[in-house]
Amino acid sequence: MSKAGTVLRVGSITGNFQSESPLHPAARAFLSDAFDRGWADPTKIPVASRQAAILQNEAKEIFASHLGIQSRHLEFLADPSLGFHLGISGLLNPGSTLFFSAVDRSEVFAIAESSGGQRLPVSIKGEVQYPSGDTDDVLAWQAINGETGIRSAQPQDFAGRIFVDATGSGHLADLPSNWRTALWSSKSWQGPAGLGIFAVADRSIWKNPLPHLDNAITNSEYSLPLAMASALALEAHVLEYKENLARITEINSFIRNYVSTEIPDVDIAGSNESAVPHLLSFSILYTDAQRLVAELDQKGFAVDSGSACSSANLEPSHVLAAMGLLTHGNIRMTLHNEISEVEVKNFLKTLKEIVRELRE
Amino acid sequence: MELNCLGMRCPLPIINLARAIKVDAEIILLSDDPATLADLSAWSRMTGHSFEVIGPDKYLIKRL
Repeated sequence: MSKAGTVLRVGSITGNFQSESPLHPAARAFLSDAFDRGWADPTKIPVASRQAAILQNEAKEIFASHLGIQSRHLEFLADPSLGFHLGISGLLNPGSTLFFSAVDRSEVFAIAESSGGQRLPVSIKGEVQYPSGDTDDVLAWQAINGETGIRSAQPQDFAGRIFVDATGSGHLADLPSNWRTALWSSKSWQGPAGLGIFAVADRSIWKNPLPHLDNAITNSEYSLPLAMASALALEAHVLEYKENLARITEINSFIRNYVSTEIPDVDIAGSNESAVPHLLSFSILYTDAQRLVAELDQKGFAVDSGSACSSANLEPSHVLAAMGLLTHGNIRMTLHNEISEVEVKNFLKTLKEIVRELRE
Repeated sequence: MELNCLGMRCPLPIINLARAIKVDAEIILLSDDPATLADLSAWSRMTGHSFEVIGPDKYLIKRL
């Protein structure tokens, strides 16, 4: 194990299978330095500002190289969810139809609610049939579903404009060749929260949907030090993801195999082939997710759930419901790079025991 | 048989249904839990049953 890996282990919480994780150590180590060097307004003339501008460019180059875009296309957003409005509404014309899928994020549904649109159904395997559309139409395309980990097929035949939601996929999104706008969330590579990375491929067909007087995409302030820290987190995360890919893939298969053979009546989303290895969602029939999550938490394991009884609004995950998967007893796991095999085996043994008790 | 699960939250309607259908091959389920429709479809697929919506918050479930 490398030195960086040792630091990572010390800084992480054991048994954390939630989507959120502590700030990446590479970002945390740089934070105070980042605030020392990146406090000035990069658009001004004095020396501190010029230094900030250099750091801003460096950060943009790091993002661009790992996200597969050009740095001049890139914009930092203090509010990542604003990127859905910028990315989708900015492509819509009066005659456009907005196509989106039933497993898209609620931010997309909210835009469709006001602009109108066509919701595309999703199969139980997570597949969506994309229309060919007209050149003015807009497709909200989710690269990877953040709940199930299922990768979307490339929308090659779509003739219109494509907004890529990469908030659930981080650096794993394969941008379709005809993408027009895209959005990433810093949290997906263990960067600081409160930072979105937004990109516009072609400013000539994108119209700013926000009130504006000049050519700027937004006039909202973002934190340059956090953007710099996020760039370092991304760089480290890309490397660690590669290093751990084979191991995480094996752990994912192990969990899928274990829950389907050792625990009766489990509904697993997707397969090893259709989903990315670090995400996993399964539902355990006749169990209460709220109790599952609480019992696991007591034993030191943190998981997410898409079940109604564990959410504030009592509505089940629209992703599970749209795919026809069981919505109660749902457990959602994120397999972070630093997760160990022993931790996973202990988790599964504990889960099996809890399920047996809950079903009695 | 009619099974009244109004006011119950998931997974109780499905748990009660699974018990009841072992006795009767056909059940009319009353449930106003927002997860019931989605869960009936998954449960039917997993356990070999069929169901149809026969009214507001009212479902007919059959053993296959």
